[in-house]
Amino acid sequence: MTGLAAPPPDSRATTGEIMIEAQDVSKVFGSVRALDSVNISVPRGTVLALLGHNGAGKTTLVGVLTAALPLTSGRAAVAGFDVARQPQEIRRRIGLTGQFASVDGQLSGRDNLLLIARLLGAGRRAAQARADELLELFALGEVATRRARTYSGGLRRRLDLAASLVGRPEVIFLDEPTTGLDPSSRLNLWEIVENLVADGTTVLLTTQYLDEADRLADSIAVLSAGSVIASGTAAELKAKVGQRTVTVTLDGQDDPAAAVEALRRASMEPVTGLDNGAIIIPIGASKEIAAVIRALDRVGIEAAELSFGEPSLDDVYLTLAEQPSLLAPLSERPSA
Amino acid sequence: MSTTTTTRTADPIDPAPAAATPPVWHGSSVLLQIRVLTGRSLRALVTDPGVVLFGLLQPVVILVVLTQVFSKMGQPPHFPAGVTYLDFVLPAVLIDNAVQSAVQSGVGLVDDLKNGIVARLRSLPIVPSSLLIARSLANLVRSAVQAVILLALAIGVLGYSPRGGATELAASVGLTLFISWSLGWAFIAAGAWLRRAEPMQNLAVIAILPLMFASSAYIPVADLPAWLAAVAKVNPLTYAIDATRALALGIPGVDAAVPALLFGGAIAVVGATFAVLGFRRPM
Ligand SMILES: Nc1ncnc2c1ncn2[C@@H]1O[C@H](COP(=O)(O)OP(=O)(O)O)[C@@H](O)[C@H]1O
Ligand SMILES: [Mg+2]
Repeated sequence: MTGLAAPPPDSRATTGEIMIEAQDVSKVFGSVRALDSVNISVPRGTVLALLGHNGAGKTTLVGVLTAALPLTSGRAAVAGFDVARQPQEIRRRIGLTGQFASVDGQLSGRDNLLLIARLLGAGRRAAQARADELLELFALGEVATRRARTYSGGLRRRLDLAASLVGRPEVIFLDEPTTGLDPSSRLNLWEIVENLVADGTTVLLTTQYLDEADRLADSIAVLSAGSVIASGTAAELKAKVGQRTVTVTLDGQDDPAAAVEALRRASMEPVTGLDNGAIIIPIGASKEIAAVIRALDRVGIEAAELSFGEPSLDDVYLTLAEQPSLLAPLSERPSA
Repeated sequence: MSTTTTTRTADPIDPAPAAATPPVWHGSSVLLQIRVLTGRSLRALVTDPGVVLFGLLQPVVILVVLTQVFSKMGQPPHFPAGVTYLDFVLPAVLIDNAVQSAVQSGVGLVDDLKNGIVARLRSLPIVPSSLLIARSLANLVRSAVQAVILLALAIGVLGYSPRGGATELAASVGLTLFISWSLGWAFIAAGAWLRRAEPMQNLAVIAILPLMFASSAYIPVADLPAWLAAVAKVNPLTYAIDATRALALGIPGVDAAVPALLFGGAIAVVGATFAVLGFRRPM
């Protein structure tokens, strides 16, 4: 299946059918290369998480795949339709929850859903039935007649997601769906996504949160400066990064640059850039912890805190996601 | 960090089988899209009557203040004989109202772009321009509602009685609405290109006041200072006002209406073209 031809009429029966596919997709804005030869492939009924910092290109990729942005080069297909040639076919089959809630603040929650249902071709009755169904499922009944602009962030997100499900889409795009949500709304949204996937919907979600990707995604693509720098299941990524790690936190008066220098001299590849100023050192065997302590001791630095960790997605992120700004002012990192 | 402990409880939120049911709807016709979206734009008029009142503010102030001031001051030398100032200025006030409403259709589009509904509409299988047409039709309705309120005020409170007769007044108002509709396209185009509220507001202030005052709206062009008269002679609003005024006053001859219709038609065509081009650009 190339993913670029129309699916067979009863494609639902086909498992493993590729519902979202990008081949060498690049997108250039003026002088900014927002996407650089991106390849992804998402089978039906699975979740792909696009993991990346701000500016990595997540929203741009969502824009290209939802036929909202023309691509500069490459090919992309959703539900078997080409984004450049058959954008309306794609719009018929997708739901999009953008990074910023796209509901009409002037209208009530219910009227927002009605509007979309009518535009999708539902008759008055059918539109009302669908709106009420979604309001109930998303626990929005109490606020259904209130104007959406009076909603809290969590409510608005939920309405936004409900709005993208009105047409029962086969593929859903969620751009940073939980950014800015409180923990309980976040959990709530995760459960919604899990239920959708259980029902066979294909999901592409972008996130800056590792726990979110780890919990929801069947596979993860790490996006950095427009390129996919790693992809695979959470387990595969952890294996790729390969190592266990030692995390060292220094005392305030110790110079992190000196510590990094000392560790490098001991042939280690320390990674910096955590918010708390900690240094992560990938190691092979647990006995190498001693080597870390010795290397630091040689320059008279004693770790204020030292912990040993099995690989986590944090490590994947820090090891793979090149982000020079995070590494400054320490000297350049060894290439991953 | 990769271990998340969450307890899965019986969940009130359990979205309907999304993919289990195949898509049941097969899209809507462009006409239906326009109707639904026009209804949406007009809803603000019903749920938020402040919008209409605010739009009426300037025309009403001008109507009341100018008729009071000028009736005391005596008429300028080139004033048409036997015509009260109220007769003279009412068509211009209706045009002012038409322009205000036209500006609001551009402002409304910018609001739509800002509040996210445009992003939502773009992800739906609809014709994007139907939103623009809806805005333009909503502007027309709004302009008409406001014109009726202004006329009721002029007749009921200020004692206006159309000199040319009811039919002529109706023709005058009809032409005014046509001008409002066509100017609406210019401002929808501006909104589609500017996409931000502040430049849109600035444009409204910078464009409208001078256009209205450097025209035949409030004083005959011949009585304006020479430089202002020069501007007024090339100001398209002068032609629009001359035409609607001639109709309302019952001055025979269609020659005044021709330039107004041509000017309106040209603005609508150019405006709509640029509106579609501007709106089509990715967000
Ligand atoms: N419309 C645009 N014009 C110019 N540059 C853009 C535009 N949209 C995004 N970019 C640039 O493309 C890069 C990727 O942006 P984006 O896709 O929004 O990242 P993310 O969603 O991962 O935060 C950034 O450098 C951003 O500045
Ligand atoms: Mg983004």
